[in-house]
Amino acid sequence: MPSLIGTKISHTYRFFKALKEVSIELQKGECYALFGPNGAGKTTLMKIFATLLQPTLGSVSIMGKDSVQDREAARQALFFIGHKSFLYEDLTAIENIEFTIGLRGWRPTLGEIKTALDRVGIGAYASQKSRYLSAGMQKRLSLAKAILARPSLLLLDEPYASLDEKGIDIMNESIRDFSNQGASVLISSHDRLKAAEVAHRAGTLHNKGLKEVPITELANALF
Amino acid sequence: MPFFDVIKWILWKDMLSEIRSRESISSLFFFALNVILIFSFSFSVGQDVMLALMPGLIWVAFGFTSILGLGKSFLSEVHNDCIAYLQIAPVPKGAIYLGKLAGNILLMMVVEIILYPLFMIFFNMDILAKIPSLLIISFLATVGLSALGTLFSILTVQLRAREVMFPLLLLPLSVPVFIGAVEATQGALSGDPYSSYRHWIELLFIFDMIITIVSFWMFEYILDY
Amino acid sequence: MISASLRGKLWKWSGVIGLLSGLFIFIGLFLGLVVAPPDYYQGEVFRIMYVHVPFAKASLLSYITLFLGSCFYLWKKDFIVDNLCHAAAGIGVFFTSVALITGSIWAKPTWNTWWTWDPRLVSFAILLLILIGYLMLRTFVDDKRKEATYAAVLAIIGFVDLPIVYFSVEWWRTLHQPMSISTRGVSIAPGMLTPLIFMMIGTSLLVSYMLLIRTQMLYLRHLLEAKQGGLLSEESS
Repeated sequence: MPSLIGTKISHTYRFFKALKEVSIELQKGECYALFGPNGAGKTTLMKIFATLLQPTLGSVSIMGKDSVQDREAARQALFFIGHKSFLYEDLTAIENIEFTIGLRGWRPTLGEIKTALDRVGIGAYASQKSRYLSAGMQKRLSLAKAILARPSLLLLDEPYASLDEKGIDIMNESIRDFSNQGASVLISSHDRLKAAEVAHRAGTLHNKGLKEVPITELANALF
Repeated sequence: MPFFDVIKWILWKDMLSEIRSRESISSLFFFALNVILIFSFSFSVGQDVMLALMPGLIWVAFGFTSILGLGKSFLSEVHNDCIAYLQIAPVPKGAIYLGKLAGNILLMMVVEIILYPLFMIFFNMDILAKIPSLLIISFLATVGLSALGTLFSILTVQLRAREVMFPLLLLPLSVPVFIGAVEATQGALSGDPYSSYRHWIELLFIFDMIITIVSFWMFEYILDY
Repeated sequence: MISASLRGKLWKWSGVIGLLSGLFIFIGLFLGLVVAPPDYYQGEVFRIMYVHVPFAKASLLSYITLFLGSCFYLWKKDFIVDNLCHAAAGIGVFFTSVALITGSIWAKPTWNTWWTWDPRLVSFAILLLILIGYLMLRTFVDDKRKEATYAAVLAIIGFVDLPIVYFSVEWWRTLHQPMSISTRGVSIAPGMLTPLIFMMIGTSLLVSYMLLIRTQMLYLRHLLEAKQGGLLSEESS
């Protein structure tokens, strides 16, 4: 069963057509890199997959569950890292993680949280209020949440934004770990070089839909 | 049980944030204090007239303070777009409502408990013996206001005109709370027997039940339109 | 929800409904203002009842439509029903305002006060505030679906709360102000009943007519937006 099936997704905001008939299928363990110019609708598509938006036309199925009818089940299977950090500024990094994972139904031990924070390189800031974390550190914190959440489908909207070189490497390593563990990853990014390092497949979003690009061709085009 | 866990998580998160920043409680407290002070200066009347006006004054002060406090319930969620995470969290949305509601009730009750003694001091009233009944009335009225206010907070928090829309929506619909609270407080302050103002307490209770249940039900639709 | 053929028939009939409503109202007003005898106690001013009561009932009719429509919208997410709700709210503002103004005009010579804390009058005032709040909320929300959902929730909460408001004001009023002459207790002479019935039917038809026209207007605007967004195929259902 594919982790993600998008069927002819179209989406229109009040007067503006954001997406037209986008279809996609992701198998377990696959990493798909989504490219496209500004305004192509990448974030809209990611939000639809994250169930933040309901597509005006078309349907989305996550681990076999429809994203509208079986919302709760679909949401249990996915994790979304977007542009905003979803952080509560008066809470520490550890507390933010406890809250996020707590809402997913379980309580990681302090050891598990610290391991995840070390993995992403912000172990030293574990007890800092997240107000004092820089944008890059906040991004790493989101990655730590994802690691603990263990989703079947990981959605990353501009995962490399705000990250320094080390951070980007950590991100890619984690993405590879996710794929190896059988989770599907969908990355939307402008950084073709970095995304191509981890992606198995790639595609370009434009106003006619989603066009798959063979990854070898993408790699060749970059060099 | 996942449902009650969610309520606990939301309550924990809000209370922790509030304890650390002390932002809401101080602004609410000083706002209410200001209202009381202005009343003191505005009405230069005899003690017996003041006693007659007291229930109304108390509830005007608490009412305005509630508008300030409840309107901000979801403001902390809009920052950093946390509300999006609440939307996609695999939890029943009604539990989020109840968690927020509990936090709001707690916050308002703390403010009210601090304010009653101040009312006693500023208006030279001996109401020490009546504090328990006053607190019960306050609790019921606070539940009603918070139930409506929490729902309207999420309806208005992302709007441009939030500060206009929130009181515009809340005040007309909370008329029964104000009527019930003022009448019951009147009865309690005058030392009347409970039976004489019992139906006002019942009104508050019925309002609380109906509005909380309907708001709880409707909340799901708002977060997940 | 409503098939296209039924919709077509409803639009055609709206003209007839409009004419009928005008006819009934005209007859009702003529009978009420000219033919019917003046009230024994209140004299000529009682005639305003022929406008106040039917308009008040019409305002409640609009609000019930708004409530039922909102419930239906939350259940089925049908956009035509949402347009109906939007229309019902605007129409409700009209009828409620007239009911309040005529109520106030009635109060002045009768009880020598522009405003009485009569539970019905207060409830209508609060209803007007709810409807205005509803329309304002709709203006401020950006996304179409969000707007429809938020509005529906507001309508439902308001509808559930309004009876509680009514009863709380009634209890409060019996406590603080002795009951003045209540219109409920007034016995109606037969000569007065007929114009009232005409007006009631007329205003009900007027509500239906206005609902049909305004819903149609809003629906056409919705179609236009959908076409601009390139989703016309969705609307053919």
